[in-house]
Amino acid sequence: MLNWEKLQQLNFTDANARERAFGLVDKGSFTEFVSPRDKMSSPHLPVLGEAIEFDDGIVTGLGLLGSRPVFVISQEGKFIGGAIGEVGGAKMVKTIKLALQTYERVKKITPASYEKRLPAVIISFETGGVRLHEANAGLLAHAEVMDQIQDARGKIPIIAVIGSKVGCFGGMGFVAAATDIIVMSENGRLGLTGPEVIEQEMGKDEFDAANKALVFRTTGGKHKYIMQDCNFLVEDSVRAFRTQLKEIMNIPFPEIEKYRRIGSLQLVEEQLELVKSAVTIGPKDAQDMWKYYGNDNPQALADISPKEFLATVKRRERVI
Amino acid sequence: MALKELNFEFKAATPKTIKKEWAHLGVVGSGDMEVLLEKRRLNGAVKVKVVTPVTGFEKVWELVLAKVVKDNNLGDVYMEINDNNATPIVASMRLRQALAEASKPEREVEENA
Amino acid sequence: MGTEITKVWDSLKRDTQERLNKVKHLVKEGKVVAAEDTVALLEGVIKPGDKVNLEGNNQKQADFLAECLCKVDSNKVHDLHMVQSVLALKSHLDVFEKGIAKKLDYSFSGPQAGRLAEFVRDGKLELGAIHTYLELFGRYYADLIPRVALVVGFEADKEGNLYTGFNTEDTPVIVEATKFKQGIVIAQVNKIVDKVPRVDIPGDWVDFVIESPKPFYIEPLFTRDPALITDTQVLMAMMAIKGIYGEYEVQSMNHGIGFFTAAIELLLPTYGEELGLKGKTCSYFCLNPHPTLIPAIEKGWVKSIHCFGGELGMEEYVKARSDIFFVGPDGSLRSNRAYCQAAGHYAMDMFIGGTLQIDKYGNSSTATANRIAGFGGAPNMGCDAKGRRHSSEAWLKCGEEYGIQGDLVGKMPRGKKLVVQMQETFKEKLEPAFVEELDAEQLQKNAGLDLPPVMIYSDDLTHIITEEGIAYIHKCADMKEKMAAIRAVAGYTKIGLQADEQETKVLRQKGIVKTPADLEIDITRANRSLLAAKNIKELVEWSGGLYSPPAKFRNW
Repeated sequence: MLNWEKLQQLNFTDANARERAFGLVDKGSFTEFVSPRDKMSSPHLPVLGEAIEFDDGIVTGLGLLGSRPVFVISQEGKFIGGAIGEVGGAKMVKTIKLALQTYERVKKITPASYEKRLPAVIISFETGGVRLHEANAGLLAHAEVMDQIQDARGKIPIIAVIGSKVGCFGGMGFVAAATDIIVMSENGRLGLTGPEVIEQEMGKDEFDAANKALVFRTTGGKHKYIMQDCNFLVEDSVRAFRTQLKEIMNIPFPEIEKYRRIGSLQLVEEQLELVKSAVTIGPKDAQDMWKYYGNDNPQALADISPKEFLATVKRRERVI
Repeated sequence: MALKELNFEFKAATPKTIKKEWAHLGVVGSGDMEVLLEKRRLNGAVKVKVVTPVTGFEKVWELVLAKVVKDNNLGDVYMEINDNNATPIVASMRLRQALAEASKPEREVEENA
Repeated sequence: MGTEITKVWDSLKRDTQERLNKVKHLVKEGKVVAAEDTVALLEGVIKPGDKVNLEGNNQKQADFLAECLCKVDSNKVHDLHMVQSVLALKSHLDVFEKGIAKKLDYSFSGPQAGRLAEFVRDGKLELGAIHTYLELFGRYYADLIPRVALVVGFEADKEGNLYTGFNTEDTPVIVEATKFKQGIVIAQVNKIVDKVPRVDIPGDWVDFVIESPKPFYIEPLFTRDPALITDTQVLMAMMAIKGIYGEYEVQSMNHGIGFFTAAIELLLPTYGEELGLKGKTCSYFCLNPHPTLIPAIEKGWVKSIHCFGGELGMEEYVKARSDIFFVGPDGSLRSNRAYCQAAGHYAMDMFIGGTLQIDKYGNSSTATANRIAGFGGAPNMGCDAKGRRHSSEAWLKCGEEYGIQGDLVGKMPRGKKLVVQMQETFKEKLEPAFVEELDAEQLQKNAGLDLPPVMIYSDDLTHIITEEGIAYIHKCADMKEKMAAIRAVAGYTKIGLQADEQETKVLRQKGIVKTPADLEIDITRANRSLLAAKNIKELVEWSGGLYSPPAKFRNW
């Protein structure tokens, strides 16, 4: 049994998938689905001589945030970079399915007050996307997760949590974008093509992946917050993320839709405007956008604590 | 090159099993491993299965595991390890931590915060 | 009296004057030469066969001058004998490829070590010797005097006064050897200014200054991100602090580069403080400004640090801590590799650092079979200088314990410097760190070297720390006992598996081998939570925002 109190104080970046899953929900409330004891590891990796993990790099389970049942999916970046394979993907899909089934049941049993018990899904991302060793199964898993997210739309909130070492890249970057709400820390990174791949394809002059400051100001939480690609920015601790999630649970469900960045014609138009503005503004660096949105000293903004940052930062105005 | 499976069996002088039904510890990162301990009736023996991509370390695994079993007087335990190039010290540390985990009470009484 | 012999006693001076006359037309104002005239300048002042020093070390590099040297006409300039601290840039070897240089004397090569080995094997380069820094600097004043030195600084004025500031490093030792033996000194600087912030090298020791098109290359070599320190490194750092720093109360020391020493530095304010060691150890360092030392400095552990070189990002922190660092009237650090190496060699009571391989006798090396890397200053830090020296408690205690002291000096009291190597028994990918024969011996054969490049010899080494324990090998009475002590801490390597249980038991009783349990260290506490800072950002916080890490270390 992990010590919940200690977990709260842990840097979110340093917490492994299971610690995050335990720590993001209320004390003692977490029950794991398909735990290591079930030994459901990848059937593909042994043939390739690649090390396996009992949970295939994905921790799934159910916990509580107040009165709300919360279905947690937590990815482990240390295991093959958090890449999604067949088993891990199936665990993700099934967990969202269970959340939806629970939603139907709660609605049926307590129709008057079901909103108090409305399930939610939390996905703690730490991945580079598809596990290339089991490419087709991994790709399929991405599609199925997307499908589940769409099924959940308008029924239960799906919340992305991004603050772990590997960040959230590749196909899972799309998946994160498709969720309702994204919470990040400044250590979190979100994108499609990872820095190393950009450098490999476009050259060091285009993007120097070894330049961490560049990587973080382009893909990190502060940038995503300014650009409205993430909804909330929190400090790098398990407690801070959990506190934010509890607050999100207080948002009346009909309002959740407003937090989305994609998923309607209007939102597509907003995104297209943003693409257009990239041409008119012509930024050479992510921080040019920070400046454009009214932050006169972007480097100072990068250096200050999340708390100070939140107090002074100016963000892109949402159209909706 | 497929993964290799190593199997060992040990018997301590005065074997004692673990407190919990099972315990798990570790993440299979590079240079690391996970271990799953399960209480099982094995006539006082400890059986271990190691799944690893590394060759040529059977003897080292045997010695590391034998020491852990001996030092802790372990018995009636089934151990399964998924390894990814853990060094002997990392293996010893993880096993020690897993045993500490396995000796805690089954479930701490916890209140919702 | 016989026939009168007329001998010219100032031929060097005359030759220098001739060379300078040849390039007069290139000088714009004072001593300034334009960047685009640099190749012509080099062709004018360098003659075939000259000994040429190209400044550069593991931090700053005279990269523009190195590139220009590669562009000279090899019909005019050839067969040069390069004498230089490090071989780090591609251009450092390109000048051999192009037939401009022929022979090399150096002390350290990092990324180019593999290519260097190829060049030696293919006969493209004649290797003089692999030196330690002090040894090479010494030879600049004996038989390897540079005829021309190509150096680097931040700023110069038109009269040639150089500001080398934070990264003064090797410049003074090179310029003095060159200029005072009538040689020619050419400096590349980032900027030519009206007045330099302080004069590090007087203008009349410098012949030409060139504003380079780009600022010189500089590497933050001594920055270790605490986020990458492992639990095992924490355990070994705990053993070092309790079993050596505390045991000997070592006050002056050098820390080698690496994660082991970074872990030690970050445990001083936590574990070290808990053991009550503050003030009893770690007061004086010769050391680059390691960012990981910030928490210990802030907690008042350290009295003084003299630096070999600078470290990118530490400029403002050092400036604000002039009680601790050597800071000039202008407010910036003055590093000096030669003096710092001298201090490390003679004034320090301990060297501690990591290695890659230790053989069964206790010789250690970072050399691998196909790379001629050299060791820079480590062998000077990591040895017990022969001859007389001052005494200190740590030095005396180590001497008293020295198992063969009596065979060497009879009953005469004498101390011994602590030379400590830290190494996990297995490296990444399960490569054993304890070996029958060092790769250095294979390298000697592969590259045709005179000696295997050993970094630290067994007779200098006093302690080996592994995750299994500390071997106090200097306490051993003979090689047989020393080999047993090494086996006892070599874990599950082939060497370690030969350890005899009974023999190890006796060594533990004698205090020659101490396990973490013998040292009363609680292994379960050995994890990253003991580190005073767990990532770069926390180091910035400890420094009160004064430390400004380079982009490659900023994950924000």
